[in-house]
Amino acid sequence: MDYILHVIIIIASTLCNALGINLVFGKGKIFHFGSVAVSIAATYPMYLVVEATGSYMYGITAGLVGALLLSLFIALLALRLAPDGLGVLTIALHLTLLSVVATWISVTHGAGGITNVPRMFGLESIESFAVVSCVIAVVWFIIIFLIDRSPYGRKLEALAEQEWYASALGIRRATIYIVAFSLAAVGALLSNLISEQYFRLVHPSNFQYVFFIFYIAIIVAGKPGSVIGVTISTIALTILRESLRFLPLPITALGPLRLLLFGLILLIAVWWRRDTLFPVKRSV
Amino acid sequence: MQLLINALIGGSFAALLAGGLTLVYGVLRVFNISHGQLALVGGYTTWWLHQVAHVPLVPSILGGVLTAAFVTWICFEVAIAPFYRRHPFLPLVSTIAFSIILDAFFPLLFGESTKSIVNSSGGTMAIGDALITYHQLILIAFTLVLLACTGLILFATPFGRRVRASVQQPEAARSLGIASGRLHRIVFISSGVLAGLAGIYMGIDQNISPAFSFPLTIRAYAAVIAGGKDNLWGTVLAAYIISLLEQMAVGLPWWFGSYIPAGYQGSVALVVVMVVLLFLPNGLFTPRSRTA
Repeated sequence: MDYILHVIIIIASTLCNALGINLVFGKGKIFHFGSVAVSIAATYPMYLVVEATGSYMYGITAGLVGALLLSLFIALLALRLAPDGLGVLTIALHLTLLSVVATWISVTHGAGGITNVPRMFGLESIESFAVVSCVIAVVWFIIIFLIDRSPYGRKLEALAEQEWYASALGIRRATIYIVAFSLAAVGALLSNLISEQYFRLVHPSNFQYVFFIFYIAIIVAGKPGSVIGVTISTIALTILRESLRFLPLPITALGPLRLLLFGLILLIAVWWRRDTLFPVKRSV
Repeated sequence: MQLLINALIGGSFAALLAGGLTLVYGVLRVFNISHGQLALVGGYTTWWLHQVAHVPLVPSILGGVLTAAFVTWICFEVAIAPFYRRHPFLPLVSTIAFSIILDAFFPLLFGESTKSIVNSSGGTMAIGDALITYHQLILIAFTLVLLACTGLILFATPFGRRVRASVQQPEAARSLGIASGRLHRIVFISSGVLAGLAGIYMGIDQNISPAFSFPLTIRAYAAVIAGGKDNLWGTVLAAYIISLLEQMAVGLPWWFGSYIPAGYQGSVALVVVMVVLLFLPNGLFTPRSRTA
């Protein structure tokens, strides 16, 4: 039973971030490869403040400020750079932040990470943690679903497909991008609020590049831009990832096999969706 | 002096790594995110041949280069060819997938620990008060000769003219009968050969580890972006400049005589990418284009 609850918590955590990334990368077709960098910007300020003050209210505020500031910066870059340049720059941003948290030991605790992360009041048992995580994920799903179906969602899609025509019709690219990136930042915050608190640990290894690959595999496999598709693929791929631990393999082989599996899934998913991932612009 | 020598060593490695990448971007207009992994294929194969199978060093290097070329060809057929004509950004995602697959194989086949291709540095020589190993001298000389040969091929042979025509006017080149498919394969595999040699360079000069792959790719892109994306000589020059900045960042005292921690050395290239993309999106050495 505990294992099922564990998987539910991981799915809830992953879904919050995946839905945000889907809005930017999947629906907006914006080459934002720095989603894990946003997670770093949300997680470290949040838990460092929690460690210093013991208050989650201050911690969440700090995490939100960190994530929003970085997201705003990336949104401004997205407005200025060519898509491939943005992709490389956001990867560089991610690796830079990762080297900062690994090297700035006096503040971030370096490779040791932040240990003994306290849980919020009432979340000590795994049952209560699973219920609260599910409630957060479901509420976030409903919010993103409604946004996706709203005029805002259509504007984001219009910008992705026909940027010039959309702009000519009065859709402001800057506003749409800033909102999309801000929503993705909130998703990253919620995701890390659940996962790091659940594991009681903030560690640089939780922000490696492979986590970004996992999210991209989820979005490409689930159909980029589709809230329901990405939700289903999050559930399926998280169960697949978590069930790999039952294979009779040495622990050192488990990590590389996960990489191999998700690399293959991503490659097959890109091939399968090669005509719709970055659709050729429709002509009249 | 030691800083300059270190910059020359690091810059030669980065130039080798980035040189092939700039050719690929110039001809195919695609970003290959698995470039760092292709470098490690060359390094690890050479290590295995030399240290495990006890093959002499030169045939081991040859084996490493051939394996890197073969894996690069697979990369082209699997992650580039089915996608790049449909949308120029599809290979960015497909090569991410390919890079992850390669990343999974390194620890499974060779383990997580760092590996060095040679056991000794081959002796050192002093230049003023600075030291350099004979291996490093050979590597620098080899890189410069290789880059000169690449330049010669590009600027003094019919094949080079076809490549440059494809870079400058792809439609016109195709209409004049240049077989773009074959040319693309040759250029892509050549970039893998240069990457494989860079991996071997790193394995001889220092060591290789699976953790180096993505930072290597980004380091190469730092030089490519700073140099002007499809400008070979600009990329090579940018590689040496970035390497010098890396050495200066951690080798010189900054404020109040304090030094930047060595852990940030790798971030210098990343910061260069950011600054160049923000303020000079076309790179440092892109000639100003003529307008009507």
